Amino acid sequence: MDLAALASCLTATSCLVTQTTSGFIIGMLLFLVAAGVSLIFGVLKVVNFAHGSFYMLGAYFAYTAYVLTGNYFVAVVAGGVGVGIFGYLFERVLVSRVYGSAVLMQLLVCYGVILILDDVVKIVWGAEFKSFGMPDMFQQLPILFAGGVVPVFYLFLIIVTLIIAGLLGLLITKTRYGKIVRAAAVNPSMVSALGINTGLVYGSVFVLGGLLAGLAGGLAAPVRSLTAGMGLSVVVESFIVTVIGGMGSVAGALAGSLLIGLVRSFGSIGFPLFTEGLMFLLMAVVLVVKPSGLFGREA
Amino acid sequence: MTKLTRPKSTRRTILKGAGAAIATGVAGFPFISRAQNNPIKIGMVTIASGRVAMLGSSSANGANFEFEKFNAAGGLGGRPIELIVRDSKGKPEESARLARELVNSDGCIGILDADSSAAAFAIQEVARDLGMLTIHMGETSSLTADPKIRTPSAFRSARQSIHDSVAAGAYAGKLAKEKGLNKWMGCSPDYAYGRDSNALFFELLKHFHKDAEVIGESWPKLFQADYTEQLTKILQAKPQAIYTCHWGGDLTAFIDQSNIYNLFAQMQVFAINVADYAIVTAVKNLPKGIHSGSRYLATFPKTDANAKWSADYRARFKEYPLNWSWENATAAKFITEAIKKTNSADPKQLIQAITGMTIESPFGVNGTITMRAEDNTIVDYATGWGQTISADPFVPDVASVDWKLINELEIDWKKRNKYL
Amino acid sequence: MRQSSFLRDCLLALIAFAILAAIPYFFPGRGVTDFLVRLAAFAIFATSLNLLVGYGGMESFGHGLFFGLGCYSFALILKHFPQVTIPGAFVLTILMSVLVGAVVGAICVRLNETYFAFLTLAFQMLLHSLIIAWTPITGGDNGLTGYSRPAFLGIRLDNYYHVYLFSSALLCLCLLAMYQIVQSPFGYTLRMIRDNASRAVFLGIDVWRMRLVAFVIAGAFGAVGGVVMSLFVSGAFPDFAFWTISGEAIFMIMLGGLTAFLGPLVGAAIFLTLNDVVTKLGSTVKGLTGVPNLDFYIEKIASSYGLILGSIILLFALGLKKGLLDFLNDAWADRKETSTAEATKAAAPARAPGE
Repeated sequence: MDLAALASCLTATSCLVTQTTSGFIIGMLLFLVAAGVSLIFGVLKVVNFAHGSFYMLGAYFAYTAYVLTGNYFVAVVAGGVGVGIFGYLFERVLVSRVYGSAVLMQLLVCYGVILILDDVVKIVWGAEFKSFGMPDMFQQLPILFAGGVVPVFYLFLIIVTLIIAGLLGLLITKTRYGKIVRAAAVNPSMVSALGINTGLVYGSVFVLGGLLAGLAGGLAAPVRSLTAGMGLSVVVESFIVTVIGGMGSVAGALAGSLLIGLVRSFGSIGFPLFTEGLMFLLMAVVLVVKPSGLFGREA
Repeated sequence: MTKLTRPKSTRRTILKGAGAAIATGVAGFPFISRAQNNPIKIGMVTIASGRVAMLGSSSANGANFEFEKFNAAGGLGGRPIELIVRDSKGKPEESARLARELVNSDGCIGILDADSSAAAFAIQEVARDLGMLTIHMGETSSLTADPKIRTPSAFRSARQSIHDSVAAGAYAGKLAKEKGLNKWMGCSPDYAYGRDSNALFFELLKHFHKDAEVIGESWPKLFQADYTEQLTKILQAKPQAIYTCHWGGDLTAFIDQSNIYNLFAQMQVFAINVADYAIVTAVKNLPKGIHSGSRYLATFPKTDANAKWSADYRARFKEYPLNWSWENATAAKFITEAIKKTNSADPKQLIQAITGMTIESPFGVNGTITMRAEDNTIVDYATGWGQTISADPFVPDVASVDWKLINELEIDWKKRNKYL
Repeated sequence: MRQSSFLRDCLLALIAFAILAAIPYFFPGRGVTDFLVRLAAFAIFATSLNLLVGYGGMESFGHGLFFGLGCYSFALILKHFPQVTIPGAFVLTILMSVLVGAVVGAICVRLNETYFAFLTLAFQMLLHSLIIAWTPITGGDNGLTGYSRPAFLGIRLDNYYHVYLFSSALLCLCLLAMYQIVQSPFGYTLRMIRDNASRAVFLGIDVWRMRLVAFVIAGAFGAVGGVVMSLFVSGAFPDFAFWTISGEAIFMIMLGGLTAFLGPLVGAAIFLTLNDVVTKLGSTVKGLTGVPNLDFYIEKIASSYGLILGSIILLFALGLKKGLLDFLNDAWADRKETSTAEATKAAAPARAPGE
């Protein structure tokens, strides 16, 4: 523990700016994965533990697209679209068979899929870790801002993810599709009675979740190493985020992600050896005080 | 939400259940087999899945590369060596079980342990229990240095943390004196190896450069994907130099992320695990001037034998040899040399032969590597430090460290830890 | 009636133990006994989890907390306090798990379903973080090895055969004890809460307290599983507190069946057999077809543990949809029902007394 360092950081603008942006960077990428987890749970009541593998696939799809085209934006889109399609197949072929089963049965299906995908990645892309490399346009010196340091690439990531978050919010709250999805979350049989194909709605939620996770994988690829099993740490964190923010709430996922980002960035200064424990502790406290999460509806 | 039906267990189902359990158990025992005369079997326990799957492939290749040569030369009176590789999935209890099964049921005469450090300790218990010939590839010093853990039938054919740390301390200390690097920070993964390596480095750095001061430490988790908060913490503290023992995929991510913060231009970076082909060929924009310990390089030691070994290996497996490759190749060579020397495949004789044995090796500083008899660990292997450039040969000049110095400081270290 | 059935259960456990004790004479190698020691550890652990999942309807995803706790406290006590005897360490370990179970349970059991699963998982991962971070005491990720095992009552746990007998005895005793618990009035109260908690409340049952008691009991037995595992590896490793161990226990229950009392035992046997067979598949298919290129890919796929195990998991989860014993039981019941369709209907309730 190093509370003195934490105190001095909180009083210095440069440290405050740098650590806050660093919390934003960690949080926003986490948000893209967590939002999918949260949406899928909110609408389908399915705990998609395989979401980390979606993220991994996104990164690998993007990697292949980047090797083929050399264009980062094409790569990111390929990651998102590829995993979106995969998400649809995943839902139709596997998940749709365990709707309404025990939570543990769903976890078991996800566990099987995680094991399979890790090996598939190993067989297709090789056992060695891959590094994407920073696209040329982002190979610049970091920006100095109020004494803090912000890399150009991270600035780009924050802006893009904020735009995605905004679009997602609009989609859920303002469009007809969003209304159907929200209705399906509350009363699926009513939606079905209105002549809407619920299977299609459910599939589309997985497409959306997969798209977001794939985009996250592709966007982050230049600063990650690509290996089989890279989804694990991400999925654990995104579940913490989802629980803290409230399952099913996109706004909650955003708040939870930023909270975790800030806990990690300031925790690394104050409690360098216990940041992970801190996250689990935060989740436990939220569950005890308000089990439905910060933005969740009471069950 | 739960759809659990009621239990309707009766005494009959219990008997049925017990029967089923025993039946699956017995049917599932494929391991009741007789050891055959041909060939000589060696087992390998390693991790072939998940994040560190590379460990499995490069270890198996390293050992097989040596065994293939032995077999091509006629083996032991016509008996070839066969390597049986098993994946422990990184679970220590699996590693212990597999090691025992390979020896007891598959008829292996010995075990190559190319697994995690936790597994090394679990396998060590099995080695002690069975007196089985074991060669570890783990780096954790205490495995063979601590007399309470050491056992006569188990050897280490790998870098040992304390050896590498002396090399690191000597190199970094000299540089720190020249350049006046007094403010240091550590950034290593938070697990046993990371802490061990970090503590040893600074201990020895201070031995060689008294003015060195550690102004802060940051501890990311092992396999943490994102180092942003650690990097910004380092940038805030503005040290003159940092030490990190990240390895594998963590290290490439750490370098990529440090790059966009322009970290390498602001301080000297000492990263002990960079000079391995898995890293230097994977990182797309390898920065110039990172100080790194040698892991495996075709150009260090700068001998024809080493260059040829590396070229042959690449031709055989279509991939670069890694640190794990040379360590396993060396372990395999100790076994083949012992077989040749004793003209037998009897584990007891082999153990005796390997103890204190010196073999010719492209990876030795003087062309040889010795399995030190007093603590069953290899010495005189090449260890040194140099600075990176962005293209092949990646670390052109590696400064070697005198093994006399390493031995001296190792004894001090053993005394401090009450191993002597 | 209760008493005579208790005696019969004891007799069955004794017979089971006698069979287990005889096995080393028929299979002298360590292969079979190694398998059975691991089976004992996981069967006790999975059955204890099933007290929560199958009988209590409490889907814990963090039961590995107790497995890891049992493993570590047993090893830590013996390592750092050499004067403590094995029975002493065993009792202290159980007390420790009861204490932790009471605290964690008090916080967790009032939540339901998904939230319960995640909160238990969080506590397990807290323990895991603690083990990794507290290196001087726990040995961090290197694990903890080399603890002393003083002899007691003529039992020497540094002798492999004694470890085997000790584990077999624990397996029989724990299963006997847990069976008595699920057949007791408490066990039936638990089932009632699982099926209809509001009815239980209406009948004046303190649901929270019953769940807590179940949580503590399951935790204590889970810790015994950890102790057996610790004896098997002569140490403790952080892996035993990682979430995957909970995942595997769930898989075992699902494989064997969660409504039959011995489902988890059968599941553990299937799981371990699968694990052992799949692990050595890669080296057994070497040179299968003789076509080098084809063999290369066959070997590559056969050595892909996750790919094969994952596929089997999916087949079970989506195909069978229930564990093996449940499947057999239901098939058995169906056949019996069709064949005795004309028989008196009164026979049916007699077949399932007290449910």
